Amino acid sequence: MARIKFESVSKRYPNGFTALDDLNLDIQDKEFLVLLGPSGCGKSTTLNMIAGLEDISDGNLFFDGTVVNAVPPHQRDVAMVFQSYALYPHKSVYENIAFGLRMRKHPKDEIDQRVRDAAKRLEIEHLLERRPTQLSGGQRQRVALGRAMVRQPAVFLMDEPLSNLDAALRISTRAEIKQLHQVMQTTFVYVTHDQSEALTLADRIVVMRDGVVQQIGTPDAIYEQPHNMFVASFLGNPPINYLDGQLAVDNGAVTFRRGALSLLIPPESAGKLAAFAGREVTIGIRAEDVSEHGTPPAGQALGGRITSVLPVGSDNFLEIDVEGKQLFFRVGKEAHHKDGDNTVLTVNVNRLHVFDKQDGQSLIWQKVQA
Amino acid sequence: MNVQLRAARRSVSYPVSAYDQKTALLLLSPMLAVLAVIAVFPVLYAFWISLFDLKLTRPHRVPFVWFNNYVQVFHDQMFWDSVTRTASFTVMSVTAIMAIALCMALLLNEEFRGRRFLSAVLLIPWAIPSVANALMWKWIYDSGFGALNGLLYQLGFIHKYMIWLGDPDKTLPLIANAFVWKEVPLATILLLVTMKSIPADLYSAAKVDGANLWKRFLHITLPSLKPGFALVMIYEIMMAVRHFDLFFILTEGGPADASHVLAWEVYVETFRNLSFGTGAALAYIMALVTFILAYSVIRAMGQKL
Amino acid sequence: MHTASLGRRALLLAASFAFLAYVLAPIAWLVSSSFQSESEITSKPPHWVPHHPTIENFAAIFTAKDRVVTYATRKDGDPATGGFIPSTAKYLLPSMRNSFIVAFAVVVLNLLVSIPAAYAMAKIRFIGRSTSIYFMLATRVIPDIALVVPFFLVIRKLGLLDNLLSLVITYLAITVPFSVFVLLSYFESLPDELDKAARVDGCSRLQTLIRVFLPLAVPSLVAVVLFTFLTSWNEFLLALMFTQTPVSQTMPVIVASFTSDFTISFSFINAAGVLAIIPPVILAIMFERYIVSGLTAGAVKG
Repeated sequence: MARIKFESVSKRYPNGFTALDDLNLDIQDKEFLVLLGPSGCGKSTTLNMIAGLEDISDGNLFFDGTVVNAVPPHQRDVAMVFQSYALYPHKSVYENIAFGLRMRKHPKDEIDQRVRDAAKRLEIEHLLERRPTQLSGGQRQRVALGRAMVRQPAVFLMDEPLSNLDAALRISTRAEIKQLHQVMQTTFVYVTHDQSEALTLADRIVVMRDGVVQQIGTPDAIYEQPHNMFVASFLGNPPINYLDGQLAVDNGAVTFRRGALSLLIPPESAGKLAAFAGREVTIGIRAEDVSEHGTPPAGQALGGRITSVLPVGSDNFLEIDVEGKQLFFRVGKEAHHKDGDNTVLTVNVNRLHVFDKQDGQSLIWQKVQA
Repeated sequence: MNVQLRAARRSVSYPVSAYDQKTALLLLSPMLAVLAVIAVFPVLYAFWISLFDLKLTRPHRVPFVWFNNYVQVFHDQMFWDSVTRTASFTVMSVTAIMAIALCMALLLNEEFRGRRFLSAVLLIPWAIPSVANALMWKWIYDSGFGALNGLLYQLGFIHKYMIWLGDPDKTLPLIANAFVWKEVPLATILLLVTMKSIPADLYSAAKVDGANLWKRFLHITLPSLKPGFALVMIYEIMMAVRHFDLFFILTEGGPADASHVLAWEVYVETFRNLSFGTGAALAYIMALVTFILAYSVIRAMGQKL
Repeated sequence: MHTASLGRRALLLAASFAFLAYVLAPIAWLVSSSFQSESEITSKPPHWVPHHPTIENFAAIFTAKDRVVTYATRKDGDPATGGFIPSTAKYLLPSMRNSFIVAFAVVVLNLLVSIPAAYAMAKIRFIGRSTSIYFMLATRVIPDIALVVPFFLVIRKLGLLDNLLSLVITYLAITVPFSVFVLLSYFESLPDELDKAARVDGCSRLQTLIRVFLPLAVPSLVAVVLFTFLTSWNEFLLALMFTQTPVSQTMPVIVASFTSDFTISFSFINAAGVLAIIPPVILAIMFERYIVSGLTAGAVKG
């Protein structure tokens, strides 16, 4: 009942700045969709368009097949949680939550019932008579959630709701939001710049940059099969390691070469890369895709000089100088390293990413035309 | 006012939703109607009138005289003398206002018991009607029984009661004093507001750097205050240039035209000489000068942010 | 800057006394004079504090309408007997009523006009927004003098010359730009997200204004009401021009007429002055804290 479709939607400002460029997006009913990207990428603009708070320059926005470009926000069945919560300071918590229902003229008993149910679920019953200024940040966030929940809307919008919470609260609230989604069985559209949030919460992620969609897919698909260098580096912590070099093709065997380094591309991907002999490429190796046990087989050896060792509790981070480039890898704590040591790591070449050096596009994973 | 200018310059995205556009214009229309009829129209009409030789003493013959009224005004020595007197009154008043207001604002910026009381009391001169202010000072300056005479006499500064308002040399400064007394509260509050927006961190950092009270005033308070100070000053200049009430009640432009300022000239020309054409021209010149002053300030402030 | 050093305290105390003396002395003298009889008030040197305080001056004002002021009655030496009061004395109280009516009407109309306009300019993006703001700022600059001639001619033609309505309309012109200015700043300082939340919650723009923004803008609303009331109550020049008879003359005009009456009783005038300043002073002191917070956008958030 809540299919949202963006058809070639753009937003342009008179001074030429383009916030959104030709967005095409099909949001399924009941899915948890995350809009992910750095600030200024257009994710909040997109969210605001669904709410009706931003106007559309070009293209059409459909709710269940009906064009809603001109429908003002108070006539849409959408609820929203804001980054700053935007609670009404002059109203009690009860009134804050009840406000949307009152505006839509629900009967009094129904309003009371719904407000108390939501308060119970969010464990804020004891706060109903207080004012927002008397609440902590975490409590205010719950009230904001409650205000959106009671409306039982067709679409639930959230604009970076966790960014003002401290780290511990963020993790626990994340889980609650996920649960809320199960219970409410409604479409959720969630905006964030935090990639770990996106990976945890989403059914699908839309990665955006400078108003252009980079990739749409499930968290796994985006993490494992990034279509370009931006997506690959945006997801994953610590960020993916990049190394420039060349592809050499020799009797069907494709290798990546940089100086003395030579990595053999496995057969599945080799097929796609065979045509790019001699091409300048950038490979991506995630920090966790190496190991240091045993001697690496041929074509999987990555050798370099350790420039620093950073213990992070459960593991060690090694900063290694490989052929003139600093790379970061995560390794176990067993081996004892010192700065200046030389070491050789085994690269899991099955998880190697190869990108064209010039346009940053992946040479292995292509965008499938939907 | 900077908030306003920033607001005006934020770009609007097109196309704007029809609902928003319609609603905005609906909400705005009363104000636009009121201002168009009551503010814009008179200004234009006044200009129109100033092109006619309109005298209420002979209302049936109203020749169109192009800019002759303005020419007449500029040739009238009384006009230029009025301008000089207005300028001198303005300089005296504004200097005093800014100096006193600055001191008061500095005082009120400190935290101490009784500060609220002082703030409340400060508003009294601002709140009272200007006619009440005028009659109060008229009584104080009274040559026969006034408090000024009484005080100076009791303190031994004079040996007999003097004429104050009736003395052409003393008239303008005395009127200026009355004007200053009434204007200081608003200027003080405006300066105080500016002072309060100076971040406390700046003072803390300066203290750590070893600056004493005087140095802090010199290097932090004064520079941060400059734009606000300028704004208040321009406002007070505008107020001084157009002030009328005191001149009407205290001296009626006298004695011997000692206090015959521009505002008084407009009144006399319009309502005593009943020459509406030249009266309108005079008013228009005054309004134009005020407008230019204000516009240049707005521009200057606009650049500053 | 909280060091309670003795030097600082002494300085503050001295400064405070100077402050109070400057601000209150003239007023104190006015009040003191109003409680002195004509004979006492004409003593040299003056009695700073009345030796024989009397309320006969105020009584004279309140009973002025029952007096017949003739040359004969003026020959006596005391306001209490009807002499030495200006012939227009009996109009003082009715003129205060006129002032009140005008001020009240202007405040109400002002709010009706300014509030929606300020909200629209603060929170709605629309074509013509910057123009409206510049337009409003420009009208703030027009001095009263410029309105006199055109208004007088139009009002005369419309036959409204001795009518309170002409004052109400004129005062609207001079108070609306300022009100919109103050309200606009204040609305701007309220978070945009509140506006968005209300609209998503189901409020049309007007409902957002009434249910969310107005309750939060109380300080600036109070400041606007106060400024508008005081401006209307105190305004002199235009009232002088546009009213001819005591039927419509407002308080400043009547009080000014006292000062031009030559056989004047000083004690009476001072009493009239005290009466004239009571309403504005009370209002200003009562709402003192709103004046500053209402003027400074963003100083007070809900």
